[in-house]
Amino acid sequence: MLKSILRSIFRGDPPSTQKGRSELVFYNLWLHIHPAKVRKEHLKLRHTGYLGFVSFFLLLILGATGLALMFYYHPYPAMAYQDMKDLQFVVFLGPFLRNMHRWAAQLLVVAVFLHLCRVFYAGAYKEPRQFNWVVGVLLLFLVLTLSFTGYLLPWDQKAFWAITVGTNIVASAPLVGPVVKVLLLGGHSLGTQALLRFYVLHVVVLPGLAAALVMVHLWRIRKDGGLAPSPSGPEEISSPPRETPIPSSPEKTYGLMGIVTGKPTFEVLVPEEEEAVFSYPYAFLREGAAFLATSAAVMALALLYNAPLSEVADPSKTPNPAKAPWYFLGVQELLSHSPTLSGILLPSLMVLALLLLPYYDWNPSRRPKDRVLALSLFALVVLSYLVLLLIGLYFRGAGWAWVWPWAKGAGGAA
Amino acid sequence: MNRRSFLSLSTASAAALLATAGMGLAGFFRFLFPGVFYEPARRFKAGYPADFPPGQPVFLPAEKVYLFHDPAKGFSAASAVCTHLGCTVQWSERDRQFNCPCHGSVFAADGAVLRGPAPRPLSWLEVTLSKDGQLQIDKNRPVTDAYHLLVPA
Ligand code: FES
Repeated sequence: MLKSILRSIFRGDPPSTQKGRSELVFYNLWLHIHPAKVRKEHLKLRHTGYLGFVSFFLLLILGATGLALMFYYHPYPAMAYQDMKDLQFVVFLGPFLRNMHRWAAQLLVVAVFLHLCRVFYAGAYKEPRQFNWVVGVLLLFLVLTLSFTGYLLPWDQKAFWAITVGTNIVASAPLVGPVVKVLLLGGHSLGTQALLRFYVLHVVVLPGLAAALVMVHLWRIRKDGGLAPSPSGPEEISSPPRETPIPSSPEKTYGLMGIVTGKPTFEVLVPEEEEAVFSYPYAFLREGAAFLATSAAVMALALLYNAPLSEVADPSKTPNPAKAPWYFLGVQELLSHSPTLSGILLPSLMVLALLLLPYYDWNPSRRPKDRVLALSLFALVVLSYLVLLLIGLYFRGAGWAWVWPWAKGAGGAA
Repeated sequence: MNRRSFLSLSTASAAALLATAGMGLAGFFRFLFPGVFYEPARRFKAGYPADFPPGQPVFLPAEKVYLFHDPAKGFSAASAVCTHLGCTVQWSERDRQFNCPCHGSVFAADGAVLRGPAPRPLSWLEVTLSKDGQLQIDKNRPVTDAYHLLVPA
């Protein structure tokens, strides 16, 4: 009886045979995003840092903890801050869940950023993976928007003023700026409507978009022939055409066999037996380990450090200094020099440059020694942002004046 | 059905589909603009002139306005919203200037930008006497920094 129930759920052979191991992946909705076999090289920590997986797991953690927090949160100014206090002092596991959500969100920003750097360094955005790079950049943008909308929800001073500044940056965009601001806030200043709108964006609209894009992102990995080979390994070639190519003709109807070749569009030709292993158990074991490590790291952070909460939002009094979340501080530092140019123009140019990167980078080679210019330019941009960020974080005090971090009264971490 | 009528039918359907989608989008766009803004009124009464003796400017927190009373020239009101990105500026009596905590803009007592990224001087607002003798400030009516309302004592 039990056996027949199990057999009806898991149809393949038991995973003790090679056939069973393939079928385990192939017949499972959740697993079949994997290939039945993966290349050994791709399982190495050194190859990817598992950063994509870590980002994905962080998203899962954020979804779960976020859902839990929703049970105790009212998106209404008079209640939101009180709810935060309840989460801190009254709700069972409240502080832990809130801390987890906050730290996972910050780790996610770091993880997707490192993921982007890794992919850039490996040149993995080049043919045939250009489009997946674009999806990835959109996802990065979504992660930042999610963190921006989530930042307002506690309705404390930091949230209120960071979002005031943020939405005014939006408003300073040429032509559409003021209209977008009213749309975003549901009014002219940050209030009841704005909190509700940010909440809806944060818990429904943006997570939905992110989930859809994540699906595309993962699916495209497979369709583009799996992970890119390491930049120093053998080159990729497009798969050899089928022996008898099926001609396309308007008179003919096609079955699926006409399209499905059973081979990825691009592949690296290597002797399969030596280079590839079954996804079950080798890949799954490592993914499981990555998941456990990610969760453990988030939980440890949540146990050790409390998510900050400042005083309740007061529209009449701006805290001094008013700082954005730390990863936006580079932009804030730029903003203190000139408003539209650095607040709107520079970031939009950056996003555009990132989005279109695979289409203007004509250099087909992935080898670092052929890409000195690209790599050093990228490093330069990343480093200058980090410098701006650190200045904003540690060297700016009251009135955004320059202070040395060791001087008394310096503005601490945001 | 012949080729011609098929083509015109499909063009018409495509146009209808596009029009519907367009109307839906336009409707949703309009839907997102609230019909009523539940926000503080742009024109408000600050209180009786006698409540504001000459001296330090008074900050009206709910409306984010600084009310000045110059013994010779009379009343004037400055918006406390920084023209850079909307933080609330603070008056410093010692330096007789407004400081913005967000990106370090500094405004002179007449609202002019002294330092920092603010693109425009602080805005001055019209002050009038309402029928019941209270000072009335209207954010919809910007004035120059020379504008003052002299109320005979
Ligand atoms: S908001 Fe005042 S200086 Fe930026």
